[in-house]
Amino acid sequence: MSGDMGDILLVFFQECDEQLQELERGLSALSDGESEQETINAVFRAVHSIKGGAASFGLENLVRFAHVFESSLDGVRSGRVAPTQDIVKIFLKAMDVLSDLVVEARDGGPTVDPGRVAESQAELEFIIGSNGEAPKTDDIVPSDFVPVPMDFVPVPVDFEPVPVDFGLDFGFDAAPGQPPAPLIVTFCPHDAMYARGDDARNILIGLTDAAVAVEGEITVTCDVSTLPSFAELEPDRSYLSWRVVLPAEVSEDTVQSVFDWGGDVCDFTISREGEPAPDGGEAVPAMEAQPPGEGSQAAAPPEPALPAVPETSSSSGVAAAQVVPAASPAVAPAPAAGGANAAPVRRTEQATIRVDLPRIDNLMDLVGELVIAQAALESQCRRANASMPRELGESIASMQSLTRDIQDAVMAVRAQPVRSVFQRMQRVVREACSMTKKDVVLTLEGEDTEVDRTLVEKLSDPLTHMLRNAIDHGIEKVEDRLAAGKSAVGQILLSASHRSGHILITIKDDGGGINRERVLATAIKRGIVAPDAVLTDDEINNLIFAPGFSTADTVSNLSGRGVGMDVVKQAILSLGGRVTIQSVPGSGTVFCLSLPLTLAVLDGMLIVAGGATMVIPVSSVVETMIIKPQDTYVLPDGKKMVSIRGDCIPMVPLGSQLGLSAYVSDEPQNGAVMLIVENESGARVGLVVDEIRDQAHVVIKSMEKNYRRIPGVSAATILGDGSVSLILDAPALIASAVGRINTKVSDARAVLAA
Amino acid sequence: MTEEEKAAESKAVKMIVFAVGDQEYCIPILSVREIRGFEKTTVLPFAPPYVCGAINLRGIILTLIDLAIYLNVPPQADNPRRVVVIVESTQGVMCGLLVDRVIDMADIQGSDIQSVSDDCSSLGGLVMIGDRMIGVLQLESVVNQLVEGAVAE
Repeated sequence: MSGDMGDILLVFFQECDEQLQELERGLSALSDGESEQETINAVFRAVHSIKGGAASFGLENLVRFAHVFESSLDGVRSGRVAPTQDIVKIFLKAMDVLSDLVVEARDGGPTVDPGRVAESQAELEFIIGSNGEAPKTDDIVPSDFVPVPMDFVPVPVDFEPVPVDFGLDFGFDAAPGQPPAPLIVTFCPHDAMYARGDDARNILIGLTDAAVAVEGEITVTCDVSTLPSFAELEPDRSYLSWRVVLPAEVSEDTVQSVFDWGGDVCDFTISREGEPAPDGGEAVPAMEAQPPGEGSQAAAPPEPALPAVPETSSSSGVAAAQVVPAASPAVAPAPAAGGANAAPVRRTEQATIRVDLPRIDNLMDLVGELVIAQAALESQCRRANASMPRELGESIASMQSLTRDIQDAVMAVRAQPVRSVFQRMQRVVREACSMTKKDVVLTLEGEDTEVDRTLVEKLSDPLTHMLRNAIDHGIEKVEDRLAAGKSAVGQILLSASHRSGHILITIKDDGGGINRERVLATAIKRGIVAPDAVLTDDEINNLIFAPGFSTADTVSNLSGRGVGMDVVKQAILSLGGRVTIQSVPGSGTVFCLSLPLTLAVLDGMLIVAGGATMVIPVSSVVETMIIKPQDTYVLPDGKKMVSIRGDCIPMVPLGSQLGLSAYVSDEPQNGAVMLIVENESGARVGLVVDEIRDQAHVVIKSMEKNYRRIPGVSAATILGDGSVSLILDAPALIASAVGRINTKVSDARAVLAA
Repeated sequence: MTEEEKAAESKAVKMIVFAVGDQEYCIPILSVREIRGFEKTTVLPFAPPYVCGAINLRGIILTLIDLAIYLNVPPQADNPRRVVVIVESTQGVMCGLLVDRVIDMADIQGSDIQSVSDDCSSLGGLVMIGDRMIGVLQLESVVNQLVEGAVAE
């Protein structure tokens, strides 16, 4: 595939992702009982766009499934099928299959199980069948549209009118006193149209949709006059042209949009009956070629062309004069209401542009420099002129606030709502439910909470694990729930909110809560805690995060292998976050994840050691204290230990550990500051530093881009004065300090087993 | 420094000539991003002796190489005019070269470069401009040494 084609395909898949999100949003709105026509249309449009795009890339599987999906949605759209919970469930399942098919087409990855596709397809077909009509789109046009070189009589194809109520009207269909004549469209495809895999049939379908939208029908005549005899016929040439008569209510714009997709490779004219057709059949030159994405969007069923749009009169060709922007008095109420409804709904669709992340990073760097340059300017002005003119001071102050604002704005550009991840969780829950035969409703809250893009992507795995666990272990079986006086359907609430510079994600289920006795018994059995250990409730709850822990009696597909919650905790910690559990036996469990808003910025403590200012992530510092000489003990090899409330932990002079001790004496002075740092497995080390200077949000910069990895250093940052400062890698420092005894050092709650 | 023969390329290349200690060196001018004054650096732990530390170049963190130490040349004592030549390798790795003085530019024919020893890979050869002897620095090998040093740690 050529590079160009690859690029277009890439755009298509990006759009598929957007359409799938739109689809998911629409379907969840439907399942919440909302049956707004615009929602149904949005859902339909999403599937239709995917189908349209897929067809032009020849993605057979995708097209076939999307088509069935679309046909079944059409039943709902036209009001024949009520979107009941069961139907919506089938749609949701179909959506999962559809998104898998998209993934399959994109990555060429694992093939979707044909059985699953067939099953979902059968369910969809059942919906189609239940409305008493055959799926329409396919039957409208003969499926073999290859020019047949026999005596081919133009056959007016009978288009069965399907009543579709859009809840909208087009405001320009009835000019006062001058009812418009039927619209006549003629088109003649070039060879190029067939050469690029498009089909005149697609245009006919588009026109039919346009007619159906106004409850009309179309009459098609095929012109075979240019068709040569069979002997002279070249199979890859285009000979046929069509004349289509559309109902008068159809607007030129609607028809125009049908040709957005293929208009550059066919001649077409649009005119009202009784008017002279524009000569040469070139009324609209082939310049409407659009990027495929837009094209497929435009080929979607007629969108409410708002009367006020000025383009209506400028671009719709000859008949535009008849188009009166305002609706006639007779139909005024309907279109006005429809238009007013449609406008705000349409606006909620995401209007986005795609920007490469490096560009934003670059912008971020530049803004950081701006802040530093600004600070330097201010300090120089003060130094040069102690009695700085007031005006100068004021302009510097306003510049300062502006640069801060720019910095915040750039950070906001990187931010993304957690919606994309949260919506994916609906699927996780559906799958987990069908595997465990439980009925669980996932409620989402705060999907609009924004966090940094990098973080959004990393939330998916931990959340998946936790939700599966909640369904498998948290929510009880239906009988148990009923016995406990709960409703049969389990409830899980997934919510996100901002709290003091962090994002707080809670997963709350109304299941049985953590069975502490069982957890403790299992932990003792597995040697995670000593048999005689006395633990608080909170400590027992936290045991489920211990590596290798699982209370599940049988290993299921979902969970029970004892990897899971410890992986979750590792993942959250590696993102600089924390997990807490609250559990009430019998009424449920709440997991709270507190995460930084971004991975690009770190909440750091500025410390001085060995003459250098360094940054250590606040999240890895447990406490800080002044060393008392009587608490230290020198080991035979010269290393020191310090006792903290009875725990002996190694003491690491940070300066000499990093080879920077040239500036200060090796002996930690009495009264030096020590930071107690902890790694993921609970090992602790005391880092001796000269001074704690400040706390700051620092922007993380890679050291490895222009240099190499430095042991004990995870990255670097630029401080407010423009100087470079290193960010310490606490786990690496702990590992190198405690070495082999790493695993033995453990905190109080997990008392040693042996 | 040993000086021997080695083959080289043949096109004319514009080079920037600078002094380190009493010796002169040159690098292709297209690899130079900018030249700036020497400023305080942040000392890096476990760095080789020739790395003076890291600086912030408009948001990009890069390391400075003290060419005097790297090339084993006695530096000019107390030179206030030391400058940093910021260079970018073909792989996009940036670093700063701390030199005593930037002298001028010169068009150098590849055929004029007289090769020196093979084992001194950071020096591509020597070239004569008038009666001055100038070393042609192999930027790529300097930068690679900087980045790949992690293996040696």
